[in-house]
Amino acid sequence: MNSAIIRHAIWPLLIALALAFVLVGSGLDLAYVIPRRLLRLAAMVLGGVCVAWSSIAFQSITGNRILTPAIMGYEALYLLLQALLILTLGSASLALLGHHGNVLLSMLCMLGYSWALHRWLLGNGKNNLYFLLLFGLVLTLVLTTFTQFIQLRISPGEFSVLQGFAYTSFNRADGQQLLYSGALVLGVGVVGFKTLPSLDVLALGRDQALSLGVDYPRYVRLYLALIAILVAVSTSLLGPTAFMGIFVANITYALARSSRHRLTLPLGCAIAISLFIVAQFLVEQVFNYKTTVGILVNLVCGAYFLALMIRSRGDA
Amino acid sequence: MITLKHIHKAYAGKTVLHNVSVQFPTRQLTSLIGPNGAGKSTLLMLIARLLKPCSGEILINGRNAAHYRVSEYARQVATLRQHPQFSLRLTLEELVAFGRFPHSRGALNEEDRQQIDTAIGFLGLDHLRGAYIDELSGGQRQMAFLAMTIAQQTDYLLLDEPLNNLDMKHAVQIMRALRRLCDEQGRTVILVVHDINFAANYSDHILALQGGAVRFCGPVAEVVTRSRLQALYGLDFEILRSERGFVCNYFNPSDQEREHEQG
Ligand SMILES: Nc1ncnc2c1ncn2[C@@H]1O[C@H](COP(=O)(O)OP(=O)(O)OP(=O)(O)O)[C@@H](O)[C@H]1O
Ligand SMILES: [Mg+2]
Repeated sequence: MNSAIIRHAIWPLLIALALAFVLVGSGLDLAYVIPRRLLRLAAMVLGGVCVAWSSIAFQSITGNRILTPAIMGYEALYLLLQALLILTLGSASLALLGHHGNVLLSMLCMLGYSWALHRWLLGNGKNNLYFLLLFGLVLTLVLTTFTQFIQLRISPGEFSVLQGFAYTSFNRADGQQLLYSGALVLGVGVVGFKTLPSLDVLALGRDQALSLGVDYPRYVRLYLALIAILVAVSTSLLGPTAFMGIFVANITYALARSSRHRLTLPLGCAIAISLFIVAQFLVEQVFNYKTTVGILVNLVCGAYFLALMIRSRGDA
Repeated sequence: MITLKHIHKAYAGKTVLHNVSVQFPTRQLTSLIGPNGAGKSTLLMLIARLLKPCSGEILINGRNAAHYRVSEYARQVATLRQHPQFSLRLTLEELVAFGRFPHSRGALNEEDRQQIDTAIGFLGLDHLRGAYIDELSGGQRQMAFLAMTIAQQTDYLLLDEPLNNLDMKHAVQIMRALRRLCDEQGRTVILVVHDINFAANYSDHILALQGGAVRFCGPVAEVVTRSRLQALYGLDFEILRSERGFVCNYFNPSDQEREHEQG
């Protein structure tokens, strides 16, 4: 398939999907149904941008096509934080901190984790994929186990609150949180857009980037900070997205046939948003809420990704 | 002018360069030679600022290299690594365009495009312009990276084994191109080569390293001698000089040496 056609066709497709999502079966109810759907759509757009962008940028600075923030334990860290909050403050913690307090706290946590990653693992540019992968898997395992350990110590009521954090959903966010998240993503977008050419150079690896005049440690630090903000926004908006980042990034590379971020980032965002819309549409209209977005996304992406890999025999 | 003063470098306590003090003459081509593990790449990477010396200083145009900003340094010194690893999907032209990054920070102007064309033409890569780097042969990829380094238009070029993977014809083509960079454009080229014949025939200066120390250093005519090369590599050399240059033959030991070995 021609990648230029795909790049241009994805936008009308996305708009058509969005319209279908908002209008189909709404009875044109402008008082309740359509505004609720618009809120969900906004959550999907923001979430899609965050997932695609953070995954592609993370893969570029670590120089591989497997690692994503989710795999490196960012989301597990978020869940552990929520569990700890509920353990120490009870479910009242939600009321106590409010949405914004919670988002802010998650963001600080992830910025801290990004800083630690940069300090000890990614700053020197010698990224050993297998080591990082092992590290991410073990860390995720430890954090998840710890979260489970806490879950067993809290009351059933609190347990169900915690369960609510653990899967993808677009119904969580209210208008105000969406507004704040949108502003944050916009801020990240401005910085990201200004430094976009540097990201292309970072993807060439530490030595090449330094030779070309990009201050590697500084830019890696900057990007890890941006990624932390994006992941914090997306997890608090819609919960963990697990493997979706890998699928979105790799489908993007396969369709874009280029590593220039000018092409891959917008395409990735469009793909992630489309996936969310399709999955949510199916959940609402076809499965009548008897399945979840997470399950559908994994199913659809996984199948498509496998097909892509088999068809192009490994160079997907 | 690049000057190294008392450079000392150790990896995790293991010394690989010991008290190296040398000067690289401006507008000339200097070859770094020496056995595997002698410290050639380490020395070049120190100059490129990809590694930090444990002690000693490196002066570029009389100013301590460590005091340059990263972006400023990239307009002075361009570096080609020994094994550029690559998994990205970029065309040759896109790769060469990265060479302009130190000047344009990503927004290419007319002059940048011209430099990109010139660098690609300089190495005769026009027919591969639109080819993807990950689909090139090892030698073609090496040339693509060299083109990127040339497009950087710096006064100093540091090349670690640029002849790696190249056939004789392309190796000669590259060495001629490098000579032209020195002679016509006044650039200073420092490269690591293993083929002593290329070093002897195309460079102005030779710097020989062995076990992390400078073994000898000087103009080609002075230092390419039988005794020096024999001591450096532990091989029996025969050096033939003709109008067309040097031939250093080390393939078979002389009869005398063979008798000596058989005792
Ligand atoms: N990252 C590293 N960690 C530890 N030791 C290293 C490292 N890189 C190089 N060395 C050691 O430093 C010494 C010099 O290495 P260097 O790469 O400079 O040699 P070289 O002269 O370029 O050899 P070659 O001709 O094989 O490329 C070698 O003994 C090597 O084992
Ligand atoms: Mg070497």
